[in-house]
Amino acid sequence: MKNELLHGTLEVMILKTLSWGRLHGYGIGRWIMDQGGDALRIEEGSLYPALYRLERKGLIDAEWGISEKNRKAKYYRLTPKGRRVLTAHVVTWTDFATAVGRVLSSADAPSPA
Amino acid sequence: MSPKWRRYLRFWRPDVRADVDDELAFHMQERVDDLVATGLDRNVAQQEAMRLFGDMPRVKDECIEEALKLETEMRRLETLDVLKQDAIYALRLMRAHPTFTSAIMLTLALGIGATTAVFSIVNAVLLRPLPYRDADRVVLIAETFRGGRGSASGGHVTDWTNQSRTVERTSIWQLRTINLTEGEPERLRAARVTPSFFEVLYVRPALGRYFLPEENADSRVTVLSHPLWVARFNADSAIIGRQVRLGGEPHTVVGVAPANFTMTEFDERLWTPFAITTEQASNYGAHMFTVFGKLKPGANIEQAQADLATITEGIRQRAPDEMNERGVQVVSYGSLLVDGWDTQLWVLLGAVTFVLLIGCVNVISLLLARATARRKEIAIRGALGGARARLVRQLLTESLLLATAGGLAGIIVAKVGIRFFVGMGPAGVPRLDEAGLNWQVLGFAIAATLLCGVVFGLVPAFRATRVDLQSELRDGGRGSRGVIRDRVRGTLIVAEMAVALVLLVSAGLLLRSAYLLQRVEPGFDPRNVTMMRVALPALRYDSAEAVQAGFARILEQVRGVPGVEVAAAGTRVPMWGASIDIGVRVDGRPFNPKDLLIGHVRLVTDQYFETIRIPITKGRSLKASDLAAGAPSVIVVNETFARRTFGDENPIGKRISGWTRDTLPEWREIVGVSGDVRAFGRENESPPEIYMPMTQAPSNAWASYNRSMTFIAKSRPGISVTAPMRAALRNVDPELPAYDVQTMDNVLSQSTATRRFNTLLLTCLGLTGLLLAAIGIYGVIAFFVSQRTQEIGVRMALGASAGSVVGLVVRHAAALAGIGILVGGVAAYWATSALASMLFSIDARDPLAFVVGALALLGVALGAAWIPARRAARVPPIRALTDL
Repeated sequence: MKNELLHGTLEVMILKTLSWGRLHGYGIGRWIMDQGGDALRIEEGSLYPALYRLERKGLIDAEWGISEKNRKAKYYRLTPKGRRVLTAHVVTWTDFATAVGRVLSSADAPSPA
Repeated sequence: MSPKWRRYLRFWRPDVRADVDDELAFHMQERVDDLVATGLDRNVAQQEAMRLFGDMPRVKDECIEEALKLETEMRRLETLDVLKQDAIYALRLMRAHPTFTSAIMLTLALGIGATTAVFSIVNAVLLRPLPYRDADRVVLIAETFRGGRGSASGGHVTDWTNQSRTVERTSIWQLRTINLTEGEPERLRAARVTPSFFEVLYVRPALGRYFLPEENADSRVTVLSHPLWVARFNADSAIIGRQVRLGGEPHTVVGVAPANFTMTEFDERLWTPFAITTEQASNYGAHMFTVFGKLKPGANIEQAQADLATITEGIRQRAPDEMNERGVQVVSYGSLLVDGWDTQLWVLLGAVTFVLLIGCVNVISLLLARATARRKEIAIRGALGGARARLVRQLLTESLLLATAGGLAGIIVAKVGIRFFVGMGPAGVPRLDEAGLNWQVLGFAIAATLLCGVVFGLVPAFRATRVDLQSELRDGGRGSRGVIRDRVRGTLIVAEMAVALVLLVSAGLLLRSAYLLQRVEPGFDPRNVTMMRVALPALRYDSAEAVQAGFARILEQVRGVPGVEVAAAGTRVPMWGASIDIGVRVDGRPFNPKDLLIGHVRLVTDQYFETIRIPITKGRSLKASDLAAGAPSVIVVNETFARRTFGDENPIGKRISGWTRDTLPEWREIVGVSGDVRAFGRENESPPEIYMPMTQAPSNAWASYNRSMTFIAKSRPGISVTAPMRAALRNVDPELPAYDVQTMDNVLSQSTATRRFNTLLLTCLGLTGLLLAAIGIYGVIAFFVSQRTQEIGVRMALGASAGSVVGLVVRHAAALAGIGILVGGVAAYWATSALASMLFSIDARDPLAFVVGALALLGVALGAAWIPARRAARVPPIRALTDL
């Protein structure tokens, strides 16, 4: 259950990560796990297929660069299209999460039919 | 991990595998570093990193798959983008040169349109399968007489049916005309058929059913044709079971055949069932039935021919007298229907394709000229690194766009063309009205368009891009390779001239045929003569006397019509109506069935010759007294009959007998010889003919003629007597329909209508070819002149006269045209044999047509060259200097 939930939202989280600027795959994974903690712990490998899918959809761009430790690394960057998609997703996701949260924390019993 | 050198492959194209490897390797290095930083041993850290990563091979595969997809998509987008660029560039060029563009479009639209229109006719008439079930097994089985196909006797049909091993089923079809008396009386072409006719030629009926095996003439049932059902019964589906009066007797309508069931020229309007009598089934002498058969599955025409020939040979053994010069012939129904039309249509398609070819050559020529003009542009693009393939693609895109525009316009032209053919085409072409723009035809148009686009895109494209960049840029685009390119254009012109000559010679042959045919005297004078056919129903005119009296009364009324100067009647008039052949023996010569003379006999009244002005060359004409009861038996024969029968002897006073090969001859005296008449159309030799007073015919003769007569009336000029003649008929019998009422002028012109149509079309195509060839040679010579402006200027500066400059240019044109005419002459000599069957009284290699065609082409070519030549002669010598 946790994995399925994550799979759909992983892409959105990648987009969110990249909204701060360009980053390589390892950095993206680390940032998500730093933010989400153990609740969002995933297999690190599953990040990469998601990145390639996003690139194919035209939401992110990739280019080769040199990392801080002087290693060749592939850097990702949000495209304008990716930024629009992210904004839309954030709104939808927040609304959804709020609604689910309201339902789950409600103290009112259902009225009899 | 992949070897390092693979990375360099990225230099040429991205290597997705190496990329994925590199990216994941980077991940592992970073992770291990981070773990080591937390105090782990490097080996342990490596294992921990692998664990955290998860399923490495699967991730790799997924990534590679995604990346490959992305790459394919990118490449496709890139191609589309290039195409779009090419197309935009081509469109801009087209708009920048409107004259050039419209010239090409117009040429292609007309060429492709006309070719498509003719193809749609060929497709509708010749290529599509017939609608009948197992149509490829349907055959006509005919008795032959002196090699010609004719009707078969009941005995033949019976033997063929019972003994054949190759024919599954036979049926009999017999044409007749019948009066339909429902409201306005109408004379209809009808057919008497055995019920199996609709099994041999089966298409699901539009309504009701066909005949049951047990139905015959006594059943009084009928199947209507679709056109009759629509025209006379308003396509009322309640017609089934209703009764209609045919020949005065009520018949029940049991079915309606579907539209286009009948495809023969006879176009019968209804069918009634019949069966041959036992007497007929053993008669081998009365040839009166048309036989349609269906071959057994697997049997072919040749096998059926051999099979039926054996059976027919058996009949010859038993009844040698009946089989003199007779045989059998099996023909496929499909080929029978299009007999004669197929040659004409294929010739037409060939001719129109030739015109398209000439048009294409002109277009190639134009594109070549433009490619030459664009040499500098192309050289620059090449110098800037434009790949040759890319340049070829650019030029190809342009030509395909041009062709597509031309093809689209061509489809509109085709639509108009098809309407023209269907509307104006000669009568009797089966299924002509079904021609239209269907998928096959559109496919043809599209294929023609694409072929044109690719061919005349590739030729100039390869020529133009094979440029020597250095010399081209150095020469400022003038180039020294013009000679070679000129040779290509020269070859094109030679080909164009050759094809045009084939067209011209073909048109010339047909024109000359038409001219010769028009000069043939028909042997009668059709002016101011009107004809009207009348048939008397057997029910009320049951004896020969009643029939003769009826016709006599009608003739009397017709003669009384105001404006009619002279009138008569005959069972047949020239070029119209069926004829009956009879065997004739001569008094004083021993009777031998092998020497039997054949004559076309017609029953006539007095003044027949005078009305239609057939001259009497010897003896006298038939008089009213010859028709009186008890008058001595006399006849008039035509010159052909007299010559064939009596040679140089005077035929007047000789006695002949005919009609039946009786042993008791009824001698009739020849009292006159009439001039020959082209009885079966101008192109056919006059047959031997016999004119007999209608009262002296054997009483059973009237049935053979369907109790019908054709009345002819010569009126004063400028008066139409068609309405009064119909009224005269109504005065005698209001239930009798008049049919085929028309002027003899019309009959005469109808007899050559098909030929005129063919001649007109091929002449138009020939002239179009000539015009296109003229434009083509004009273009090439104009180009030749423009390439040599400088040279001409120098020559003139050195004292060459204007005349010698014109001579130089015209000689060049004459050389091209001359070679073209030689090649074309050879091609035409070979090609015109296809026309042989369409020609009249001249050979397909008629020298006059060849010489006139060649001279016309040469003249037009030199004329077209003259214009640029004169322009060349006016080049001021100073141009030679300024252009340097």
